[in-house]
Amino acid sequence: MIKQSVIENVLQAALTSGGDFSELFIEDKYVNSLTLRGGKIEQSISGRDFGIGIRIFSGLQSIYTYTNDISEEGLLIAARRAALAIKGGAAGTIHPLHPEHITPIHKILLTPNTVEHARKADVMRQANEIARSYDERISQVGIRYLDEQQHILIANSEGKFVEDTRIYSRLSIQATASEGNEVQTGFYGPGAHAGFEFMENLDLHHYAGEASRIAITMLHADECPSGKFPVIIDNEFGGVIFHEACGHGLEATAVAKNNSVFANRIGEKVAPDIVTYIDDGTLPNEWGSLNMDDEGEKTRKNILIENGILKGYLIDKFNARRMNTEPTGSSRRQSYRFSPTSRMTNTYIAPGTSTPEDIIASTEYGIYAKYMGGGQVNPATGDYNFAVMEAYTVKDGKIDRPVRGATLIGNGAKTLQLVDRVGNNLAHGAGMCGSVSGSLPVNVGQPMIRVREITVGGTKGE
Amino acid sequence: MTIAEFQEKLLQQAVDADFKEVEVYFERKTSFECKLYEGQIDSYETSEDGGLSLRGLYNGKMGYSYTEKLDDESIPFLIDSAKANADILDEDEGIDIFEGSSEYAGHQFYSEELANIEIADKVELLRAIEKNILTYDPRIVTLDYCILKEFSTERSLVNSKNLSLSQKENGLVIFISTVVKDGDELKTAGYLKMTRDFYALDVEEIAKEAAEEALANLGEKSIPSGKYPIILRYDATAALLATFMPVFSAENAQKDQSLLKGKVGQKVASDAFTLLNDPFHPNALTGSNFDGEGVATKQQAIILNGTLQTLLHNRKTAKIEGCATSGHAHKNSYKGTLTIAPQNLYVPPGQKTQADLIAAISEGLLITGLSGLHSGTNTISGDFSVAATGFHIKDGKIVSPVKQMTIAGNFFDLMKDIEETSSELYFLPQGYGSSSLLVKELSVTVE
Repeated sequence: MIKQSVIENVLQAALTSGGDFSELFIEDKYVNSLTLRGGKIEQSISGRDFGIGIRIFSGLQSIYTYTNDISEEGLLIAARRAALAIKGGAAGTIHPLHPEHITPIHKILLTPNTVEHARKADVMRQANEIARSYDERISQVGIRYLDEQQHILIANSEGKFVEDTRIYSRLSIQATASEGNEVQTGFYGPGAHAGFEFMENLDLHHYAGEASRIAITMLHADECPSGKFPVIIDNEFGGVIFHEACGHGLEATAVAKNNSVFANRIGEKVAPDIVTYIDDGTLPNEWGSLNMDDEGEKTRKNILIENGILKGYLIDKFNARRMNTEPTGSSRRQSYRFSPTSRMTNTYIAPGTSTPEDIIASTEYGIYAKYMGGGQVNPATGDYNFAVMEAYTVKDGKIDRPVRGATLIGNGAKTLQLVDRVGNNLAHGAGMCGSVSGSLPVNVGQPMIRVREITVGGTKGE
Repeated sequence: MTIAEFQEKLLQQAVDADFKEVEVYFERKTSFECKLYEGQIDSYETSEDGGLSLRGLYNGKMGYSYTEKLDDESIPFLIDSAKANADILDEDEGIDIFEGSSEYAGHQFYSEELANIEIADKVELLRAIEKNILTYDPRIVTLDYCILKEFSTERSLVNSKNLSLSQKENGLVIFISTVVKDGDELKTAGYLKMTRDFYALDVEEIAKEAAEEALANLGEKSIPSGKYPIILRYDATAALLATFMPVFSAENAQKDQSLLKGKVGQKVASDAFTLLNDPFHPNALTGSNFDGEGVATKQQAIILNGTLQTLLHNRKTAKIEGCATSGHAHKNSYKGTLTIAPQNLYVPPGQKTQADLIAAISEGLLITGLSGLHSGTNTISGDFSVAATGFHIKDGKIVSPVKQMTIAGNFFDLMKDIEETSSELYFLPQGYGSSSLLVKELSVTVE
């Protein structure tokens, strides 16, 4: 993309005022996005994102600048100007660059940019047809198709020089059901770190059918009771609750400055024995997987909590300095517009021994959250909130009636302690995670889980 | 190649490549952001970036493409991609490229004075704010973040019908999150200040407000769950309004995705509720003299004393309905297709102060913050169930902060249940504003 000699000059220029580390991140990304609504392809846009980020460390100070001026002169000016933020020292030196070859662990069979729009539109039309014909009360279906091809080059003053190409494919299905004055929606958005082969192999009947089924089910759901109940959270995207409730609190972004309830607690018991929590960026072709992170570190399997004991954090290069430790291949950024920091990849709770049937049968009264919506957390306090897209009451060991408007609130560290069943049906779900370094593809996963007590907010009294 | 040359070349080549009409939109941004941590610069960021998009009518359909790499090889990429994207559309938008409005307002959204302030002065100001907060009260533990961000944006829109528009805007925003602790109780509170007038920023006042906002959250108590009268503070309301903005889009109504479909001229809210669109509001940091299609923007009422005056239209939705566009075509950036959005949508202030509203409540809640708005709200059904922070009001007085809670209701019902609006007015940087609202009742669940 850019000559190695230019990269060396820029890395050197960034160290003119005494910085001790410099890094270049070059990104060239192609995006295709198509939208279908009302049975018609109504939007289609393609684009090319291109830019360069320069990062400099000086002790515990981090300087970042980005531009899409790619001339050597422009980059040198940007690097020197950024370096001015450091109050003068002797110029640092860079190590010779050593090109490194990455062996991709996430095989791509069909590059989306080589596939005609017509084939992409076909997949969307099929999904639309399935969702539409599910029930005559389905009044509107929206399908979004997205593919991205991101080529990155990372070089730093320690001699790192590495390139990678990441390919993402995602199909999002939103179904709206109407009857009388009632309107409800259902959503499913499968995605992968894979090429167009992902779309061709996708079980559209399952995903599009589920989006419609959720909308129809919620059409005549009761208002959700509010209060404190045992809550059963189903597998796959249900894992979003632990992504928010404890995943974010285990990121060095929060831990390094003690702004997390999990800071300084390695070796402590933070969860029951049945809970093992893992972040693994190496799962083949999963939505949150990467060959290497956005600092060029190979991704790995990081065990965060093992049988209830806190084992580790997700750490990026900069926060590793503050924490006096090593990075864990967890540094990520949405694009060259963001300085990277520690983020999750594919995070999940390892399977336990209970069967889903037993978990439900052993619950006298509670809430069953079949599909979660999104949520968020305040990492400093650990307080979280979640929307449940499809929920039911559980009565006498049986799933009872669908309920709508359920919101779960609580504290991550406390909720973690209250997990009393872990199922044997681990599955992963795709989502987008927004935080300081932008919006990123992540997988959340878990088997079915039961929490002894969560505060459920709803519109109906206790 | 300068931008003007690139735009000219692209317009010409697109017309030569059988586009009937084309538009080129360009955006360039610069920004500076500084984050402090205990007196030291933790992160420091500058940027200069931009991009350009092509929108063109090809075989009767509108194709889109964009690039951030402005070189000769980008021109065929833009043209070929826009053609491929036009080809796949099922819908003939029935709309052409706009030739321009007869008149445009000449409002300024850029402060030269702000642009000329030295980075060192901005960092010093932030440092003084951080220091003042940290020494304000012993219960203040740290700042989760303490950020100053300044931005400027230049935009230009030129098309094959000889329309050429441009605009510059800038602004400065300070974000602070204060962490407070008393015994085992740990609380945080966010604070945001935005301005185009750097010299009007008062260090002590900002520090006091940011600190008090967090300290007020200490001493939480639980109250029984149930339905309560609610005062939704201005900032919480502005955030809720931003979330439910899509219900006012004519495009969503035409696609059966808004329950306001067919309700223009009808009563959709209480008499106490008015909602205005003002592209030139002096308190807002956003604004524009023209919309995403180049149509002149204007001040207008969306809801007036409870009656829906208009939905938000672009030229395409207006044509479908046989009305004039309201000037709400929106380009979020060169990266997107044309959508619909307001320019500074806000609930205007009423007569009584927020304190007056509180004084009149025998038992209820003051809601000061909402979270989970991206997931706990449904713009199609109007339902919301979101986490909230706030205070218990009893006999006209604030008694205590309330433990973690959720509030739930329906946006369409809420508009009908608004009894009064306060005299305060607050804008979010994204251009949504509000006074505080007194709402008849909402469901509250407390931990």
